[in-house]
Amino acid sequence: MSAPAKLLLVDDHALVRRGVRLILEQESDLTVVAEAGDGAEALGLIRRLPVDLVVLDIAMPRMTGLQAAREITRARSGHPTPKLLMLSMHDNEQYLFEALRAGASGYVLKSVADEDLVTACRAALQGEAFLYPSAMNALMRDYLARRRRGDRVPDSLLTEREDQVLKLIAEGLSSKEIARTLTIALKTVENHRANILAKLGMRDRTQLTRYAIRAGLIEP
Amino acid sequence: MRLYWKVFIINGLVLSAATVALVLGPVTVSRPTAASELTVLTAGLAGMLLANALLLRSSLSPIDRIIEEMSRLDPTYPKTRLAPSTSDPGRRLVQTFNDVLQRLAEERASGQAKTLAAQESERHRIARELHDEVGQHLTVVLLGLKQLEHELPEGLCDEVALLRESVREGLDDIRRVAHQLRPSVLADLGLANALAALTNDFERHHSAALRRTISPGLPELPPETELAIYRIGQEALTNAARHADADLVELSLLHVGTEVVLTVVDDGRGMQSTRQGGRGAGIGGMYDRAAGVGGDLSITGRAGQGTTVRLVVPCESQDVR
Repeated sequence: MSAPAKLLLVDDHALVRRGVRLILEQESDLTVVAEAGDGAEALGLIRRLPVDLVVLDIAMPRMTGLQAAREITRARSGHPTPKLLMLSMHDNEQYLFEALRAGASGYVLKSVADEDLVTACRAALQGEAFLYPSAMNALMRDYLARRRRGDRVPDSLLTEREDQVLKLIAEGLSSKEIARTLTIALKTVENHRANILAKLGMRDRTQLTRYAIRAGLIEP
Repeated sequence: MRLYWKVFIINGLVLSAATVALVLGPVTVSRPTAASELTVLTAGLAGMLLANALLLRSSLSPIDRIIEEMSRLDPTYPKTRLAPSTSDPGRRLVQTFNDVLQRLAEERASGQAKTLAAQESERHRIARELHDEVGQHLTVVLLGLKQLEHELPEGLCDEVALLRESVREGLDDIRRVAHQLRPSVLADLGLANALAALTNDFERHHSAALRRTISPGLPELPPETELAIYRIGQEALTNAARHADADLVELSLLHVGTEVVLTVVDDGRGMQSTRQGGRGAGIGGMYDRAAGVGGDLSITGRAGQGTTVRLVVPCESQDVR
């Protein structure tokens, strides 16, 4: 097995950092190598220390998580640029898209951090996008609305089953509920979900950002 | 001319005319007065009264009209003014009254602006504390419970899972309340993004379709102005959703010359034009917010033809962000 991925935690609340660290360190493939209380401190650490993934809070004093993400993406240090994962209270697509544009690969809501954080870290480390559930719903709803209006969208590629799953996601059903509704395995739903994202060009942050700009969800 | 002199001159003229008629006319009064003389005197008196009444009425009736108009006005509408009068005492009365209205409107606007500013800053503070303090502590609890699950005897796991769900709901509630109090997206990501988030929320919760046009490169606006535009847009959308029964709502924010123009149009029932009374607190608040940042708000609508809310705010700089 390869060495565990090196993580940097950035949050102005020491207790939140401690909670996140305890959750992540239960996983053998993740290790927290440093913590920072704000964006500036994080930038300093990244210059000195090789890090694979930075977990960033958005609301921080002085430099917000979004500003820090931009700086980290821009900064040229000796090490490869780390992947970024935002951890935020804001359940809002505008923050999500700004985060993606600032260079983050994923966005985890604090209210589901206990469930999603580890998965999101792994996805980010592999260069895949991780979206919190309601952001996914919003994207799917937007996609369906555009298809109804007759906008040009990648369309015919989806299988009938994937189309069913897409509509249920857009209605706000969780993977578990979708599995129950369609009487298929949870794992199958997850596969469909991943396929849908890939086929619609929403698999990684670059594609997602491009989609958001094209859909007018953010300014170019 | 002063009203006093006007009345005095009218009376003076009538009395003088009567006196002249008495001196020059073939009129005599003997004692005891003859019946024929009494008839002439009565006719003369009647003529005098009639002349007086006609003259006074023509010069005083505009004042009655103006008083009646005053009582019908809604002084809370900031642009309420009396129509100018042509005749003299009326003109001065109208002018004085309009000056008072103007002063009242100014005082009221500055009072409202202070109240609104105080309210906003209080909301801001509460939202931030909810977000930064209570929210963080609940996050710590949520993560801590998750961490505990590994070390618990099996019987307690379900119990702790329930607790976690409860904490999660608490976090969602806090986020929702803080967002309603003061959307942080406005301060963090600017007006365009805040309006976009607003319209996304609208689409999520209402059946009406929403079309959004936000012109790129909006000029830099002071935070109070951005907040006023945001709140007016929010109120307009709320009204469209709540009262209009609309199928399509269009929100646009455009930069035109030295002005920023926010328009919210719906195709719903159409509210009555708000110049004449009947305004709710929400709409009054919209006017107050507009006035507070030197903006010009108009709300127009006709039954069955939808409502248009239009806010024009001057922006000083032409700088493109």
